[in-house]
Amino acid sequence: MTPARTNPAMAALRNRVWLVTLSALIALFVINWILQPNLVTPNVLKSNLTVFLPVVLVAIGQSYVILGGDIDLSVGSIVALVNVVTVSVIAALGGGVPAIFAGIGAGILTGVACGLVNGLLIAGLRFQAIVTTFATGIIFGGLALRILPTAGLPVPAEYWRTYGGAVLGLPVVLWVLILALVIIAIIARRPFIKHLSAVGGLRQAAFQSGLPVARIRILAYVLAGLFAAFASLCLTGETASGDPLMGRLLALSSISAVVLGGAALAGGSGSAFGAVLGALVLGMIGNVIFFARFPFEYQTLIQGLITLLALAGGVLVARR
Amino acid sequence: MTLLLKAESITKRYGAVVALSDGGLELEQGEIHALLGANGCGKSTLCKIIAGTVAKNSGTLSILGRAVEIGGPREAEALGVALFYQELSLVPQLSVADNIFLGREQRSGAGFLDARALRRDTEQLIARFAEVAGAGFSADALVSDLSPDQRQIVEILKVLARKPRIIIFDEATAALDRNQVALFFAILRELKAEGVSSIFITHRMDEVFEITDRITVMRNGATVARFVTAETDRQAVVHAMVGDVTALAERPAARPRSDKPARLVLESVGNKRVQQVSLSLRPGEIVGLGGLQGQGQSSLLQGLFGAAPFTSGTIRLDGEQVRISRPSHAIGKGIAYVSGDRGRDAAFHGRSIFENIAAASFSKERPAMVWPGRLRERFTKAAATLSTKYAGLSAPIGSLSGGNQQKIFIARWLATQPSVLLLDDPTKGIDLGAKADFFALARRLADEGAAILFYSSEDAELLSLCDRILVFNSGAVAGELEGEALTAYNLTNAAYGRAA
Repeated sequence: MTPARTNPAMAALRNRVWLVTLSALIALFVINWILQPNLVTPNVLKSNLTVFLPVVLVAIGQSYVILGGDIDLSVGSIVALVNVVTVSVIAALGGGVPAIFAGIGAGILTGVACGLVNGLLIAGLRFQAIVTTFATGIIFGGLALRILPTAGLPVPAEYWRTYGGAVLGLPVVLWVLILALVIIAIIARRPFIKHLSAVGGLRQAAFQSGLPVARIRILAYVLAGLFAAFASLCLTGETASGDPLMGRLLALSSISAVVLGGAALAGGSGSAFGAVLGALVLGMIGNVIFFARFPFEYQTLIQGLITLLALAGGVLVARR
Repeated sequence: MTLLLKAESITKRYGAVVALSDGGLELEQGEIHALLGANGCGKSTLCKIIAGTVAKNSGTLSILGRAVEIGGPREAEALGVALFYQELSLVPQLSVADNIFLGREQRSGAGFLDARALRRDTEQLIARFAEVAGAGFSADALVSDLSPDQRQIVEILKVLARKPRIIIFDEATAALDRNQVALFFAILRELKAEGVSSIFITHRMDEVFEITDRITVMRNGATVARFVTAETDRQAVVHAMVGDVTALAERPAARPRSDKPARLVLESVGNKRVQQVSLSLRPGEIVGLGGLQGQGQSSLLQGLFGAAPFTSGTIRLDGEQVRISRPSHAIGKGIAYVSGDRGRDAAFHGRSIFENIAAASFSKERPAMVWPGRLRERFTKAAATLSTKYAGLSAPIGSLSGGNQQKIFIARWLATQPSVLLLDDPTKGIDLGAKADFFALARRLADEGAAILFYSSEDAELLSLCDRILVFNSGAVAGELEGEALTAYNLTNAAYGRAA
């Protein structure tokens, strides 16, 4: 097929699909506001953000993996494993403030290690991403159950009070979001993001251009593990205890969010910022369904349909 | 003259297939050196070894007299070797600028991307090609929106941006039109004046004699001859390439125009890139589509095949009006389409040769059950008519050289016994011997009653094979040549709109 000239409006849109997501987010926000007049009050906004934040964080990590043309189905299990490692380390060290920091450190290391395992298996040994992370997801989940067979083991009050509190007048959850946005802004300005897009766009071309393809893919998985760890630490602050089954739906939600954010599942296009918007859209859909008094059971169904719609939209925009 | 690069007794095996048995090359500083040979002779493999994307089994490489081991593209780059890829190495989702500087992005102090420097450097490079780059070619344009010749220019810019000492141009001019080639040669000469050495691979002999200083010829995995371009001639070089001379089939004596009713009639058809094309094609006739590249010839064939359906006009097959809006319609009506862009239009990568041949037959015959044994026989025969070299029908398609792959895709369509054959630059990247086989075969099919539309980017092929040639310019037929008028002069003249 000869590439046909693209309509310029469509071409402009193709690299800014997140604009569509942003419009959808604003529309959902307005609808939510109409249905729930007290939405725009500090407390309600904060509680919304607290609920959405884990998906936002996991989706950011997932967006890097997907940009590189891979996928990570294990992020939900990484969240669970990080949670039980963190609470166990805190409990084992007696629960003081130093123990909390040690627990957080151990959790982050766990997330990075999980990402490294995925990356080495997939980019190093050239296993298939979807099957490998499906399997490692089961393994990480199994490890979580081995470490903490049943939910429990509360975290010290300092942990969850700080997470639920405020610093410099702004809630900590907002600081976490800001920090995440700063990290993705930094990554977006590094050559790494171009290399990752190239690896996801046309792996052979990236290799022929002399890029260290395996290292780039491994790094994307490490980022996914790292952001899954951040998400887990937030969830731990919210639930204030250990739960080996935590975050089981996060892998699929994060993929939905990335797609809603305008990324191509085939890799090569999309952005972490789009994934943030996508995750917020997913959350707002849940809100609207709740406040429109639809039965809660419809939430998953409608999220699925909207994800499908976003995929269809992406195909339409990308089609030439 | 100083010897810059020396490759000696290089060997490379892929499983049982020997790609290189004795590859050798001597490249002097500041020369343009042609590396010639039929497809599958090993010249691409030799280049990839020099550029570090393929590891050799044995042999020595030295640069300025010092033996070097090149372990990967990065090491080659560090040694100043850059390879221009025949199969494009661009990332469609990235912009022109991002592609050109992929992996060597300009950075600001803290290691961030320096978008301004990237744009400035890209624009400087683009400026060299400004007069032929065409519409929509800018630093920010996405590569997926560019035409094939524009992508080729990006590929050239990407190589130039690395400021290498040795550049390997593997079919760099294949997708370029005449003006672009002229400019490319001007740049090549500039580089030469700067002391850069180029290894130049092309299938166009005219280009070899126009631009190169010396010639190395390879055949069957070994280096067989070296020439100084100024002291040799075409016959000698071609003879070295093919061994026993297998020239293109001479054009048959003008044959009386058949008076059979037309098999295929197009009336004012058009799609995105062709307008108002009318033609009529009789059984036994080979009609050529000529003109500069990208003037709508491929689009006409794709329209007829339903891959880029016509939006206006009518198609008649054997007098009956038909509608072809997707390839399966065309296949069902006995139309076959052989594309020159096998990577994109033809290959099922990673699948067997058998499956790659079977695709069209399955679409046409829609068998409820498949008996591989019977098909095997038929496919073996189809592949044999083109003297394809392959290990077995179950070998993966990727185990073949580009030229042999193309023969498999031609065999795919021969196996459907088509009555209308659309050839879209089918000989792109296949060797002279195979071309001769292919032309003889096309003529035989025509004699057996097939009607053939043949587009080639090489005028000589059109002139030697066609009964008539329709010359395209800007998506429309600019002229028709027949009988005595079938000369290179007329063809070029018509391609440039006659007034030229």
